[in-house]
Amino acid sequence: MDHSIDESKYSKDYAVVGKRLPRVDAVAKVTGKFQCIADIQLPGMIYAKVMHSPYSHAKITKIDTSKAEEVPGVKCILTHLNTKKMHVNWHMGPPLDDVMHYQGEEVAVVAALTEKIALEAMKLIEVEYEILPSVYDSEEALKPDAPIVHPEYRSDNSFRGLPWIGLNRMDEDGYLRIEHGNYEKGKKEADVIVEGDNVTPIQFPISPAPRCCVVDWSSGDMLNAWIDSQTTQSQVPGLSAYLGIPQNKIRLMSHCIGAYGNKQPVKLLWFGALISKQTGRPVKLPYTREEDFIGTWRRVEFKTHMEMGVKKDGTISSFFTHCIANQGADSGFGFISMGTASVEAFTLLHKYNNSLCETAGAYTNITSYGAINGFGAPEGMYGAEKVADRAAEAIGMDPVEFYLKNVVKGGDDSMEMNQSFNGPKEIEWGVMGPDIDDFEEVIRKCAEESKWKEKWQGWGKPVSAEGPIRRGIGVATGMHHCTWNPSSAIVKMNMDGSAVVINNANEIGQGFATAITQVVAESLGISYEKVTAVTGDTGVGGFAFGNVASQGTTSHVYSSKRAADDARRKMFEWAAPKLGTTPDKLDAKNNFVFVKEDPEKKMPVAQICAANVQIFGTTTNPPQEKFFLDPNGKITSPYATACAIAEVEVDTETGIVRLTDLHSFDDVGVALNPDNCENQIDLGMCMAKGWILNEKVAIDKRNGAIMNPNMIDYKVSTILDMPDRHHYVGRIVEKPWPFGPYGGKGFSETACTATAPAIANAVYNAIGVRIDEGFLSPKVVLQAWNSREKER
Amino acid sequence: MKKETVILNVNGESYEVHPASTDSLADVLRNELGLMGTRIMCNDGACGACTVIMDGEATLSCMMPAMDAEGKEIITIEGLPDPKTGELHPIQQAYVDHNAMQCGFCTPGFIMSSKALLDKNPHPSEEEIRQALSGNICRCGTYRKITEAVLDAADRIQKIKDGVTEKPKEEQEEVIEVSSTSFLGGRS
Repeated sequence: MDHSIDESKYSKDYAVVGKRLPRVDAVAKVTGKFQCIADIQLPGMIYAKVMHSPYSHAKITKIDTSKAEEVPGVKCILTHLNTKKMHVNWHMGPPLDDVMHYQGEEVAVVAALTEKIALEAMKLIEVEYEILPSVYDSEEALKPDAPIVHPEYRSDNSFRGLPWIGLNRMDEDGYLRIEHGNYEKGKKEADVIVEGDNVTPIQFPISPAPRCCVVDWSSGDMLNAWIDSQTTQSQVPGLSAYLGIPQNKIRLMSHCIGAYGNKQPVKLLWFGALISKQTGRPVKLPYTREEDFIGTWRRVEFKTHMEMGVKKDGTISSFFTHCIANQGADSGFGFISMGTASVEAFTLLHKYNNSLCETAGAYTNITSYGAINGFGAPEGMYGAEKVADRAAEAIGMDPVEFYLKNVVKGGDDSMEMNQSFNGPKEIEWGVMGPDIDDFEEVIRKCAEESKWKEKWQGWGKPVSAEGPIRRGIGVATGMHHCTWNPSSAIVKMNMDGSAVVINNANEIGQGFATAITQVVAESLGISYEKVTAVTGDTGVGGFAFGNVASQGTTSHVYSSKRAADDARRKMFEWAAPKLGTTPDKLDAKNNFVFVKEDPEKKMPVAQICAANVQIFGTTTNPPQEKFFLDPNGKITSPYATACAIAEVEVDTETGIVRLTDLHSFDDVGVALNPDNCENQIDLGMCMAKGWILNEKVAIDKRNGAIMNPNMIDYKVSTILDMPDRHHYVGRIVEKPWPFGPYGGKGFSETACTATAPAIANAVYNAIGVRIDEGFLSPKVVLQAWNSREKER
Repeated sequence: MKKETVILNVNGESYEVHPASTDSLADVLRNELGLMGTRIMCNDGACGACTVIMDGEATLSCMMPAMDAEGKEIITIEGLPDPKTGELHPIQQAYVDHNAMQCGFCTPGFIMSSKALLDKNPHPSEEEIRQALSGNICRCGTYRKITEAVLDAADRIQKIKDGVTEKPKEEQEEVIEVSSTSFLGGRS
């Protein structure tokens, strides 16, 4: 089967798509008028504050709220005693439980006239706890005598999804396994086998806006809620079942600020619904920065051991991964990170030829794992690319050449991420789409622009050394899927020839609203300014899963384009006879519909719209056939690829690593808006850099407490922590994705995958010591350097 | 809690406000004056999202007791556009044109720090810009385009001072002078 792309299809000069247009929300954002949930004030609104567990594992034996209820201004108090214990969302625990599983879990919620009153009243709630034994380390948790985090699910801490989500492919021993090719055979064919361990640090998303929610279920039977979330429509069914009201009585409106994958359902919405109903008032539930740390989700921790077999010519013959994921206390969807890493990092990233991976998850009594930029891919690739660097060294091959030698191409075996846990035991292999053929270009261009050939001096050798400062350069590659999830969209044409596109996926800062505005304007042939995007409002839009798992472009921008194409078809059908032709002979541009062969024969879009009173374009994306996107072939959802090259300066007296240069080249399909694409690449690089150099969350090993839940002690990278704009370079590489809107696909999470291992490999080349620890703190780096000096 | 009466001068107007002793300037700007562009990200003085300009200096309003702000000249993000025309300040326009934002929560703080810098140093070097913005955190890592926007804003402000006006963009599309209703009659 031919998997090449007819690139001529994509080379035409678009009027709107591919242009560096200002974001649709830019003016609102620079004037401070962009409405955040915390800004919303409603008449009669009360405030609710959450009381958090001081213990990492404890049973509430007694809770007495009577004194708190007497405080003037207190309106209602929720505890596990007066709330229904039910799983509202498919991957989360009940709203309020009588057992606390991590320090920070919700004990009670106090609603009062002001936040201050709620906090004062909270002090009067009397709680008695029976403290239970805790476990924080993932490997400890999997030992037979470990304290059990969820005895109601299982008699051990082995993570199996949740009782109501069967993970078909998980083996009896709690491991997800994927074998591709014949691992044992491949191992025998290897000339050298290298090994490497890695522990990834725990990172917090630090969404700029701490979570907040406003719920108004006070008038009539309609529940209106303003939520700071990247999923809206997919939260409705669970909430409807919990509250016992039909889905049409729930309207969720998302005003999302910087989600990074993490702003998915929060219990605040559920609490708000109960409080608003009970008090007959709208309620605001704001989290402080500290609560946003302790009470929400963090990045998964992976402990990996890997073995890579290579032949002397540079071919990878075998790859083995053993991985344990620390899921935390309440992480129902942790299996997705296991699946993502297993498929992307451990099976598909390179042409491993024969690979075997086994990934297990462990429940522990620390704050839960949730999605953050990459969702398993960066954590898996961090280990994989450190081992790949060792493999290149073992056979004496330039790592860039090594990556090129083993690069994945269109037509190579591929699989869908969700197949790893929910597919049949015997994996049905599909193929990579043709869009991945630019992986090679991604690596070459990155090496070229970063001057890899001139700078790289060999393994464990610095680019230069001056006094205590040693400079090193390192390279790594990365990959991440763009999933295909249900999506629908509506395009509403107005009588003046303008249009509104309604899509329930969410603008979370990445530029989704801008992207759908651009594709709809392009399809309808009208100007950018004539399109308005309405996103994340379940009161008006149809089903769209939400912007998670890099599905924004492939699923939701795509459905928006299909809806616009539907409206365009209707316009053409009406206009064709009036222009003396057939619809297929028409095109639209500059707010006119015209005859392609004779552009002077034209008609304003406004005229067509007005004459028809109302043109609607609608669509629901077709379902995926088995695990493949094209019904006639076996192409899976697309994978975006990346290559990063980092340069660091290591101070061998202090152990401080300073990132001086960072190049990341990312395959984006077709860039719908190059500015936004570059920004997303910069985001991925900045987040990955912070993840391994400055952001680690400190967890007290004695009691599971987060010791730095604030932005002073938890260091997010500032502008000075990043290289200047000439040395911090995210670049776009384009190769159209044939099933995407104008060839576009998701890539933003991919940008987070290659950077961390590139930095780690650069540190190795600077100091000549491989470090198994993922967080390169000054202490760790200094210890590594001193160990080398001792050996001498 | 005892509340004081304080007169605040914000964006050229005087306001009588009644903060408690523990209220920060950011609290009062947001909750009493409804100026929501001053964002609260960390509430610890660590992120710069609440930056306002006070007597010419970039100031963290979450760390400033509201009562101590009396008698100071305070400018918030809402005070930047031209009050008569509503036209964006050149720094704001530069941020728009460079797409120097993503989620945009930190943007007002960055713009206020940028303004405080350019007011004092109209032609900063890239390094001076980085130093001046180092108290602001952009979690989306949009530092590259933010730097470009501030450099460009400096040029724009200079051009305005020099009396050079930008040529307005040519309208490309044809203007259709017809009302919607006239087409309704023509519907077949």
